Amino acid sequence: MIFNMVNAKAALGPLFMGLLMTIVLTFACGITSLILGVFVALGKMSKIRILRFVITAYVTIVRSTPLLVQLIFIYFALPFAGISLSPFVAAYIGLSLNVTAYLSEVYRGGIEAVPKGQHDAAAAIGMTKSKAMARVIFPQAFRTLIPSLGNYVVSLFKDTSLASAVTIQELMFKGQIVAGATYDYMTVYIMVFVMYFLVGFPAIQLVTYLEKRMKNGYARKKVAPAKREVAA
Amino acid sequence: MTDPMVEVENLSKSFGDNLVLDSFSMSVAKGEVVGIIGPSGSGKSTLLRCINFLEKPNAGVITISGERITIDNHTSSKVSGEKIAHLQSKVGMVFQQFNLFPHMTAKQNIMAGPRYVLKEKAEVYEEKAIRLLQQVGLPEKADAYPEELSGGQQQRVAIARALAMNPEVMLFDEATSALDPEIVGEVLTVMRSLANDGMTMLVVTHEMGFVRQVADRVIFMDEGKIVEQGEPAVLFDKPEQQRTRDFLSAILSHDRKE
Repeated sequence: MIFNMVNAKAALGPLFMGLLMTIVLTFACGITSLILGVFVALGKMSKIRILRFVITAYVTIVRSTPLLVQLIFIYFALPFAGISLSPFVAAYIGLSLNVTAYLSEVYRGGIEAVPKGQHDAAAAIGMTKSKAMARVIFPQAFRTLIPSLGNYVVSLFKDTSLASAVTIQELMFKGQIVAGATYDYMTVYIMVFVMYFLVGFPAIQLVTYLEKRMKNGYARKKVAPAKREVAA
Repeated sequence: MTDPMVEVENLSKSFGDNLVLDSFSMSVAKGEVVGIIGPSGSGKSTLLRCINFLEKPNAGVITISGERITIDNHTSSKVSGEKIAHLQSKVGMVFQQFNLFPHMTAKQNIMAGPRYVLKEKAEVYEEKAIRLLQQVGLPEKADAYPEELSGGQQQRVAIARALAMNPEVMLFDEATSALDPEIVGEVLTVMRSLANDGMTMLVVTHEMGFVRQVADRVIFMDEGKIVEQGEPAVLFDKPEQQRTRDFLSAILSHDRKE
């Protein structure tokens, strides 16, 4: 048999712990990036030149280099500059900085795509620029961006496997340990594969569903019946 | 006569080399309804947008119900965003493309200003929204999103949204130009009743019939200046300037064709 049930049984516990770590890392970095990305996007659109320059440099560097190199640099190189981070903190910072850079570009695109008339209308009822952003522009942009943001979070989920390089005991790293101990690479990596799939596949389905739902507009008649937000 | 509601003095605005408003001056009394007509590119819309600071004028003085803002090239950056926002809150504006907030229902659109800008209490702005929806004839559309409304309905909600700020003057920037002809009437009806209630209004429009019936005064603009102004009956029937005559005959022959 290619798939060894005995080895599989032994591997299940450690791999499951690894999967938990993968999910924790995904949530921690995902939430951080979803929030930070907004501020980075706003900073990039601000009038302050130096801020725009710093942000542009950051985003460009992140997008032009491999995530694996970024992670390894933070964990293995920074200690020589006196900055020693635990594996989790290094992975958290590395992944978050990476995803934030990408998400900030997504947010910026969405914010800039809101028609000028919306800015005019908000200004015409006396909203300051920041109030208009908070109440009118951003909520519209965010809604259209939900599917792409979702896709980036799914990517993040998969990219956490690279954190194994900085000795985070996530699913990929656990797989390497277990496989190395039994030499049954086939069984262990089938399980790793399946475990990623069991989370990744529903996540993609969810993104696809959200995409469809966004296309239906704000009235939502076609999807959810008569369940509408009441003005708070 | 009392102090003017809107006073514009030597307002200039250019986009690049293109001078759109050329030392434009005018004064609008409280309760006065002024129709502004003219060929496209004559600066009508830019005038309204400058009065409401949606465009930053290059120079000039704008006074809205006693509150004065002076702009010149050297100090314009000193006019604070807060002050401009305050002035904007006193001036209602209705756009050609409605510009309702698509993520809010009709009622939420109307409440947005009172709620987020005026910081009124919930029961105050809720009641106001319901009253305004009734005023524009759409009480049953409170919970409808803009995408569920016809163009005319959207524009009526947009008028209600502007009125919710208790504006001292209303600016209409081609408010009916994007509407199908059979729907124009329902928006004009709302505008007419506003005028009858004594609202100060500046109306940029191609609806000559409306201007003739409702406006106290018509301004004919071309190339960023007033060419001629006067009572509608006088200006339409006995225009003094050749340019006014040319414009009116072009418009009227076009209307006949339709």
